[in-house]
Amino acid sequence: MHNSSTGSTSKPKGSLSVSSDVSFKRKRGVFQKDLQHMMYGFGDDPNPLPETVALLEDIVVEYVTDLVHKAQDIATKRGKLLTEDFLFLIRKDLPKLHRCTELLSMNEELKQARKAFEVDEEKLAAD
Amino acid sequence: MDSMETAATAPQPTEPTPPSTSTVPSSSSTIASATEPVPSPSPNPNPNPNPNPNQNQNTQPSTSFQQPQQAQQPQPQPQQQPNHQHSQTRAPGIPLNRLRPQPPYPNFAHLSSLTSSTTSAPLPPSISSPASPSISTPPIQRGGIAIGVPAHARPPQQHTFFNPPFTGLPRGSVNVSDPSPSTNTTNATTVRPQMHGVQGMGMVGSHGPGSQLRPGGVSGHPQQRPVQPSIRSQSPSSSQSLSSQLQGHSLLRVSSMGSPGSPSPGTPQSSQNPSQPWISAGQQGKQTQPSLSSSSYRPQMKPPQSLQQRSHIPQQQLHSLPMPSHQQQLPSAQQQQQPSPSQQSQEHYVQQYPPPRVPQSLPHQHQVTRGQGLGNQKSTSLTTVQPTNVQSGTQNATASADAGECGNQILSKRSIHELVSQIDPSERLDPEVEDILVEIADEFVDSITTFACSLAKHRKSTTLEAKDVLLHLERNWNITLPGFGGDEIKSYKKPYTADIHKERLAAIKKSIVGVEAVNTKSSAGQAAGNLKGHAAKAPVIGSPKTSEVP
Repeated sequence: MHNSSTGSTSKPKGSLSVSSDVSFKRKRGVFQKDLQHMMYGFGDDPNPLPETVALLEDIVVEYVTDLVHKAQDIATKRGKLLTEDFLFLIRKDLPKLHRCTELLSMNEELKQARKAFEVDEEKLAAD
Repeated sequence: MDSMETAATAPQPTEPTPPSTSTVPSSSSTIASATEPVPSPSPNPNPNPNPNPNQNQNTQPSTSFQQPQQAQQPQPQPQQQPNHQHSQTRAPGIPLNRLRPQPPYPNFAHLSSLTSSTTSAPLPPSISSPASPSISTPPIQRGGIAIGVPAHARPPQQHTFFNPPFTGLPRGSVNVSDPSPSTNTTNATTVRPQMHGVQGMGMVGSHGPGSQLRPGGVSGHPQQRPVQPSIRSQSPSSSQSLSSQLQGHSLLRVSSMGSPGSPSPGTPQSSQNPSQPWISAGQQGKQTQPSLSSSSYRPQMKPPQSLQQRSHIPQQQLHSLPMPSHQQQLPSAQQQQQPSPSQQSQEHYVQQYPPPRVPQSLPHQHQVTRGQGLGNQKSTSLTTVQPTNVQSGTQNATASADAGECGNQILSKRSIHELVSQIDPSERLDPEVEDILVEIADEFVDSITTFACSLAKHRKSTTLEAKDVLLHLERNWNITLPGFGGDEIKSYKKPYTADIHKERLAAIKKSIVGVEAVNTKSSAGQAAGNLKGHAAKAPVIGSPKTSEVP
């Protein structure tokens, strides 16, 4: 079962190569390192099995892909793809939704902090 | 019932002959038993495309399911081929879960019983009423098969052989109370669960009083579950025959069908030998191995003795295992599947029902085996592999059959207990619940495999691969299985919007902008008036928009 996935065949994936992206078989191990640490944080062994990590990665990639597809479906009605589309999709999952809004607000704060920082530097330089 | 009978008879023109002669492949084995018991000459194999399965089913419904099954097995084998063709005609799209061993139609009768799944409770009583034509017990088993088979699925084909036996086989959702009211009632209850998928698959005879309820139940199951159970061609006399229809389905619950008394089914456990004698005769066609062919139907036919009582169901499953393994199904890959991961090759085997599938929980294997069984119906090309596989399969089957009691079942009672304990250690399930769960599992696997095989065929491939199963599960069941997706990246398909739709949307936007502009202008003049206008306009504006934008 896992055989197909394990073999990182470099053959172009599926027939959909026609798309401009030319997304060939997806790369394996994109989240390997990060996932290992996260799994350890959630209670797994410090060195989890590679198969487990690969499985988790499959789950994550599938989830993200599915989410993006759905967001795109919603966004086509409006035009552009916005972060609001994603927030709309996870509206039912409160922990995720709150975490997302928190991260977004933190992002805004950081941006402003950087802006202020730069301005300060300029002022100092001017002085 | 009359209508059903006629329907059944019509499709089965050829049936009358097979019972004795056709060794029809495994499926036939069940039919064989069914045919014999079936008083009506309708030789199980009925022309109904249901290859063997039909036959088996027919035999089953007949009173002496069990016995005839065994005898029929040899016949079913040769008949299988005809059935095989039939199965293929089934239309790949149809989730023939049950079709495999025999065309699902026989299960129809069974299905009707399933529809009334609600009455599942009564099933046990039905079983207990073995006195009535062995069919009473089979209904329970049948339930597994019938599920998932769309009502419209080949009913005509399979019914052929059942009809004679069952007089009242409800072809479609008509569960028509069968002639044997007493038995039917009991059977009906048992059959019910099986009939789910099959709408009206005609719970053959067994429906009796219960059948009436079933039709409702069956229709309720939109799922593809193959009607297999119904196809079991329950002999009119007994709803149990319905169970016999279940043919290959691991449900073998057919045991209720045991009434036919097919001794062979009972022996299956002893491994193919018992079935071989008559199987070899019949085999000619597909399954070269007599044991295998008969095995496919064995499940259905489960020795009538055991079938007679619901409690036998577990037994039946056991029986079915040994038999199916022997039966054709094994030859093909079914058995192999279990033993060997070469599931893909097994699709060829489609033979009606990878009998002993042995509770190998390997999803792929099961699926593969199932696919093979189903493949019979669907793909002609698949059959090619069977002969060679059969032999290996038989051996495997034998071993597996002997090893495990319920080779044909996907789940065993023990595994159900384990699963339940994982959820709640102190939880206990009723035996009927366990039975129905086993049936449901079998039917599920059958339906999945069938559809996956049809997808593989659509892909112009003779190998059942994981992606076929994954696609079906994802699209129809909304079940995602991580870890099996392979390296393909799911591409995004932009939702297609017709040009005219876009034009309409643009027009609406323009009109909205215009209205708003007007509103703003007017509002500037009169504040109060504007408010009202806006309020009126807002809904107006909104409605066309909403209406336009689906």
